[in-house]
Amino acid sequence: MNPRRYTHREKKDADLAEEIESHLAHEQDANTGRGLPSEEARRQARLKFGNPRSTREAVWRYRSLPWLDDAWRDFRFALRSLAKTPGFALIAIAVIAVGIGANTAVFSVINTVLLKPLTYPDPQSLVMLMNSGPRGTFPGANVPKFNIWRQQTSIFSVVAAYDRGGAGLNLTGGSEPEQIQGVHVSAGYFRLFGAPLAAGRTFTAAEDSPNGGRVVVLSYGLWKRRYGANPSVIGRTIQLDNQPYLVVGVIGRGFVTEAPADLWLPWQFDMASHDMAHYFVVSARLRPGVTIPSLMLIRATARKRELATRSALGAGRWQIVRQLLIESLTLSLTGGVLGLILGFTGVRLLLAIAPGGIPRIGEDGSAVTLDAHVLLFTLGVSVLTGILFGLVPALSASRPNLAATLNESSSRSGVGFRSGRIRSLLVISEMALALILVIGAALFIRTFMKLQGVDPGFDPHNVLTLAMSVSGDRFRKTASVEQVIRAGTERLASVPGVAGAAAGNGLPLQGAFGMSFDVVGRPKGNTPFTGIVGYYSVSWNYFDTFRIPLLRGRSFTDRDDGSAPGVVIINEAMAKQYWPKGDPLGDRLQKGVGAGPVFAEPPRQIIGIVGDTRDEGLNRDAAPTMYIPIAQMPDAETVLNARVVPLWWVIRSNGDPHALAAPVTAALREASGGLPVAHVRTMDEVEVGVTSRQRFNMLLLTVFGLSGLLMAAIGIYGLMAYSVQQRTQEMGIRMALGAQASNIRNMVIRQGMFLAVIGVALGIGGAFWLTRFIAGFLFGVKAWDPLAFIATPLLLCCVALFAVWIPARRATRVDPMTALRFE
Amino acid sequence: MFEGKNAMAEKPQEAVRRRRDRRNGQSAGDMLQGTLDMLILRTLVMGPAHGHTIAGVIEHTSENTLEVEQGSLYPALHRLEDRGLLASEWGVSENNRKAKFYRLTPKGRRHLAAQTSRWRQMTRAIGLILGEHAK
Repeated sequence: MNPRRYTHREKKDADLAEEIESHLAHEQDANTGRGLPSEEARRQARLKFGNPRSTREAVWRYRSLPWLDDAWRDFRFALRSLAKTPGFALIAIAVIAVGIGANTAVFSVINTVLLKPLTYPDPQSLVMLMNSGPRGTFPGANVPKFNIWRQQTSIFSVVAAYDRGGAGLNLTGGSEPEQIQGVHVSAGYFRLFGAPLAAGRTFTAAEDSPNGGRVVVLSYGLWKRRYGANPSVIGRTIQLDNQPYLVVGVIGRGFVTEAPADLWLPWQFDMASHDMAHYFVVSARLRPGVTIPSLMLIRATARKRELATRSALGAGRWQIVRQLLIESLTLSLTGGVLGLILGFTGVRLLLAIAPGGIPRIGEDGSAVTLDAHVLLFTLGVSVLTGILFGLVPALSASRPNLAATLNESSSRSGVGFRSGRIRSLLVISEMALALILVIGAALFIRTFMKLQGVDPGFDPHNVLTLAMSVSGDRFRKTASVEQVIRAGTERLASVPGVAGAAAGNGLPLQGAFGMSFDVVGRPKGNTPFTGIVGYYSVSWNYFDTFRIPLLRGRSFTDRDDGSAPGVVIINEAMAKQYWPKGDPLGDRLQKGVGAGPVFAEPPRQIIGIVGDTRDEGLNRDAAPTMYIPIAQMPDAETVLNARVVPLWWVIRSNGDPHALAAPVTAALREASGGLPVAHVRTMDEVEVGVTSRQRFNMLLLTVFGLSGLLMAAIGIYGLMAYSVQQRTQEMGIRMALGAQASNIRNMVIRQGMFLAVIGVALGIGGAFWLTRFIAGFLFGVKAWDPLAFIATPLLLCCVALFAVWIPARRATRVDPMTALRFE
Repeated sequence: MFEGKNAMAEKPQEAVRRRRDRRNGQSAGDMLQGTLDMLILRTLVMGPAHGHTIAGVIEHTSENTLEVEQGSLYPALHRLEDRGLLASEWGVSENNRKAKFYRLTPKGRRHLAAQTSRWRQMTRAIGLILGEHAK
């Protein structure tokens, strides 16, 4: 290419004009020389030369890059035409901005909280090892299993065991005793998850064996909070449960764990153990090349996001362009930039309203960033949308002549929109996509509402909970724990404002241990005789304090202790599942079947049935659960238990439970001989903590759905209005030929609604098919919820009717002559 | 100066837009472009000339068979100049008028030689195909 060709166009054009003048002058001279009069000479010269303007245009064109010229011109034209309809331009930009902004913000958060793989290196090869059993698949492991898995070196490169914190350790030796979360891990843990090291080292294999010594690795948070990020803490000794522990290392800042951890302790398994209880979990890293079908699930989750994005953006498409690609691009890019700003603030906003306890968002939400991929994707889609919807009308707008237009409109009622098929398809697909999206949003909103009204099965109001760690040498016997509970309960009874107090190894909603059992004497026939159910050990007044109703039989009393016959209370769900016809009262249970010597004990008598609590979350049906008196736990189980969970105190108050925090803490410390308490929360707060993630997810999805609804509504309005507006001229002709305004209006509405109804029909079909994919997110609402599937189409039809009605009315009101000259 | 001045005052780009639909149709001038280029170069072998002269020479030497609108000469001139085959400068014509004179550059001379030989080969080949015996 010759660069000279495109430079100084204006100057060269002026030059050419002068050159042409010169040429004409010479020709005129020649003609005059042949004796023609001056006027005629001039005329002949011009005749012979041809049109000077064509020549200059030819040269100008030759010096142009047509597409660039056109783009620039169209851009200015777009600005002009948008300026003529500022309201419309603002709406269009707002739709795109909201679309991109909301999508980006919501997905940035969802992505971090829900979908993004944990920030461990090479997460594809990281697997959690599961047990498959008759009750389904659940994580969990015991030492023999861990041993077997560790030997699968051809499949796994690293295998590590860890618990999920929970027990709590008493950290003393500073200004204030503090209860902290210690996670027990096997030596491979840090290598498995690629934990960065801030100082020191992690555990050696020797330290992770029995009698390997008391060593500890601190988290960055604890290191900074309690030790001022001082590196000299390495090699120092700290007091945990009144035992000295040597600090060997500190893990770096970015390490996020599923369950929060303040420090890590070596598990020091006795590999010879035949302990069968599942009280920890095992994860492993696959050797390269090993894949597992369950990874498909991750992919399916990712697809879910893609689907949601697609339908949201698809439904957000509007057809408003005025046959000019640039105009739509101008809009979409302006909207895109605004959307970026909106997305940026939106993420902050969502984090600001996010309740506490959202996992994985890091310190102050630092782990949530505006997701670049999502942003680029939405931006790219918006640009593509602009191109597509600028091109389609541009290609189809070949201005059919009036006769054809009228013929088309009159002969085939229905699909009569000018430049018919493509635009009709746009209306139909827009309606269908919008409907699918809005049905999805409606399902989420209904789910959200249902969740608000769920009865948790106990009274969470005016209840204070505290955690007390009963680990260490002092609590080798169940009786010593029982003694603390009795003393504490008695002491608390005298604290003003306390209406009742109890203790247990778990709280409702927080999830229980699983425990195996057999129904004693039941033949191994068709009726269920064995299973694994939720399992709590509680003090005698636990049900009263939580107001969990006793449905049949009797509750525990303080005489159900280690010297009394073993008793057990089951919940309604367990009674229904394992005694579908018979009566559980009178039967006996052998719990801990196959769980090893730690859990060995004689069978227990079922003495009562209590109401269900939704321990696996408010959106799950209550799990079958059994309760035993905490005073009747085998000693070995008490010791094991104390390593994994704290003793939870539950205090029902007469007034504001927060006011009791100080006196109750003091009373319990006094009654227990100086044990600190931690995690002082009301049960309402516990509930919020447990359900916060779910509520937050629902909130995100609802925001997402509502923004989609908004975009869809405006999009349909824009598309319909545009289609009608395009026919203004035709309407003018019809009116000039004597059509009544009402006839025309009804025709337009009929044709528009015909398309809308086709779209709705297709959308209902699509939604039936697609909503099954979100069934997992729903609660109390069927994926084919009749309300959503009836109300939503009606709503969208109303939007469509409105969208057709307004421009139709406007179109029929204009003067026929104006309409004819329209455009 | 002339009534035509008004027409010329209109910016060409406005007109380009209106005439876009014609852009794809090839005009006679386009088809003859290669030929016209060669004729222009050939004309300038004799020495520098301005547009009007070139048009006249082409018209006469081709015995009026290649008569085209004289205006279509100018795009070709500008194209050739951009390609470096011609150079131009404003001067004063035999009529004592201001005129733009074009002359062959060395590159233009080489190009003409190459094109002429190619042209001769082609016409000879066409002649053979059409059954005329080479003389």
